[in-house]
Amino acid sequence: MIQSNDDTDLATDTRGHAANGKGPSGARTIRVRIKRADSHGKNVRWEEFKVDLPSAGERDGAINVIACLQQIASNPVTVDGTRSTPVTYESGCLEEVCGSCTMVINGKVRQACSCLVDDYAPNDGDLITLEPMSKFPVVRDLWVDRSRLFKALASVKAWVPIDGTYDLGEGPEETPDEQQTRYKLSTCMSCGCCLEACPQYTLEEDESKFDESFVGAAVISQARYFNMHETGATMKKQRLDTLAGPGGINNCGNSQNCVKVCPKEIPLTESIAAMGRSVTLHRIKEFFSGR
Amino acid sequence: MTNDQSFMNKHHFLLRRLHSLTGIVPIGLFLIGHLTTNSSIIWGAINGRATHAMDPELVEGVGKATAGQVGTFQHEVTFINESVPFLILIEITLWLSIAFHSILGIYYARTGKANTKRYEYQGNWRYTLQRISGYVGILFIVYHVATLRWGWTWLIPGGTKWDYEYASSTLAMALKGSETGDWTFLGVLVSLLYLLGVTMLVFHFANGLWTAAITWGVTITAKAQRNWGYVCAALGAGLMAAGWGALFGFLFVDVQAAKDIEEEMLRKKSADIVEPEAVSMIPATEHTLVAIEA
Repeated sequence: MIQSNDDTDLATDTRGHAANGKGPSGARTIRVRIKRADSHGKNVRWEEFKVDLPSAGERDGAINVIACLQQIASNPVTVDGTRSTPVTYESGCLEEVCGSCTMVINGKVRQACSCLVDDYAPNDGDLITLEPMSKFPVVRDLWVDRSRLFKALASVKAWVPIDGTYDLGEGPEETPDEQQTRYKLSTCMSCGCCLEACPQYTLEEDESKFDESFVGAAVISQARYFNMHETGATMKKQRLDTLAGPGGINNCGNSQNCVKVCPKEIPLTESIAAMGRSVTLHRIKEFFSGR
Repeated sequence: MTNDQSFMNKHHFLLRRLHSLTGIVPIGLFLIGHLTTNSSIIWGAINGRATHAMDPELVEGVGKATAGQVGTFQHEVTFINESVPFLILIEITLWLSIAFHSILGIYYARTGKANTKRYEYQGNWRYTLQRISGYVGILFIVYHVATLRWGWTWLIPGGTKWDYEYASSTLAMALKGSETGDWTFLGVLVSLLYLLGVTMLVFHFANGLWTAAITWGVTITAKAQRNWGYVCAALGAGLMAAGWGALFGFLFVDVQAAKDIEEEMLRKKSADIVEPEAVSMIPATEHTLVAIEA
């Protein structure tokens, strides 16, 4: 995960720590290279900034990529001295539970808030590369529009139907086993990492085509999550119908990148296989029952 | 939305699952049978029954192993060509299945975009290789069937024609690109194409069998998928050995010896057919005479 650097002559040992004793705790200046755009495909350009990191003693805890972006915003001057503008990005919780600061860092998708600079740029002059996710339209700079993901969640009715005219009473009981499985699935924050890494999930700018475009691992997993809930299961058939159709489960190509990049370590590939079984049985039942 | 897109969308589930199914039955099943049969050019060496009916002097001359190899393979090929009922229907079913699987496969492969440069996971490589092996496999199958089955000899370097009654020798000629069975430059290329094609197709089948279990929902947990992965890998390794074995068996068989064995088998076969006819042509009186003499 450590960015090696060809541009500087700083020798590093196998763990990426500086051989000259200037380890990750020392004060240093790193470079942050950012792929910027005014809107999707408009004025796309790379800009590089310098970020000064105080030594461990002078700062309060670790520094993440968001902190770098904040420092750049306070004085947006590129390495060649040109005055630029603060970089636009999305962020919310800053503790890896909201998913909004997801971006491509050093070529791999992850959250910027949980990306610590000491790991990525341990030495003076090290480079960190930031790009917006490539599977969603860029709103500006590192901020992308994830509407397609949210529409897909709606298409599989990723909720429990509890609205009504009378009190539904207590929820159904569930076994600890099921609870354990469902808890893991519930940690999905719709960040989009699994979609960014998926070779079957490709950029779609045309909103009218969202319906037939691949929903992706997160959405399949959420459909499983709500199908496993006894009240949620009342809408099981609708969810399976959506997943059996275009853009559903069959669009999966089994590269299994999703489960590798998921920051919450959700067993996405198990969800895909489980929903594959549900959809198969659903269609067989439908064929023989005619309903 | 264009018409063909709406057709694909309307029958999305059925087409996707038929695509998965045809890869296993009949195509995968055929591949197992085909490679097992062809690899008899290797394992036939220890098939003692293959040489029983042959002229012992001939067997001695070419060597018992070679006689067994060529004899076993020839026996299989003759059986398929002369005794399997409705062979043409089996062939048509296979051609249609392969065409269906290929056309849909290309259509589906085009919906994805490989990203192994950024995400160098083993699974991601298999995803990409599954698509590449599909493309290569189609080209290889077309060449393979066109040259050996449809007789497009202009695509065979030596211009020789594959003949099922001379299965091993004419195959060696077609692979090596000469009538004598000597290597030619183009023959080396054809042989390399076969090596590549067989390798790609076996991988495609083994990996496809692994993903099919996920698609249909047979293997769900990561552990189950790993277990099934071992089974598919073992099957793939076995088929790879059979495929490579078959190829090298045909490349290194002595063409003249193979021809001698094949001719001997043809003689035996025609003798089997001619004899009863000869008996029936004996005038009735002679039968009587024979009976009296006996």
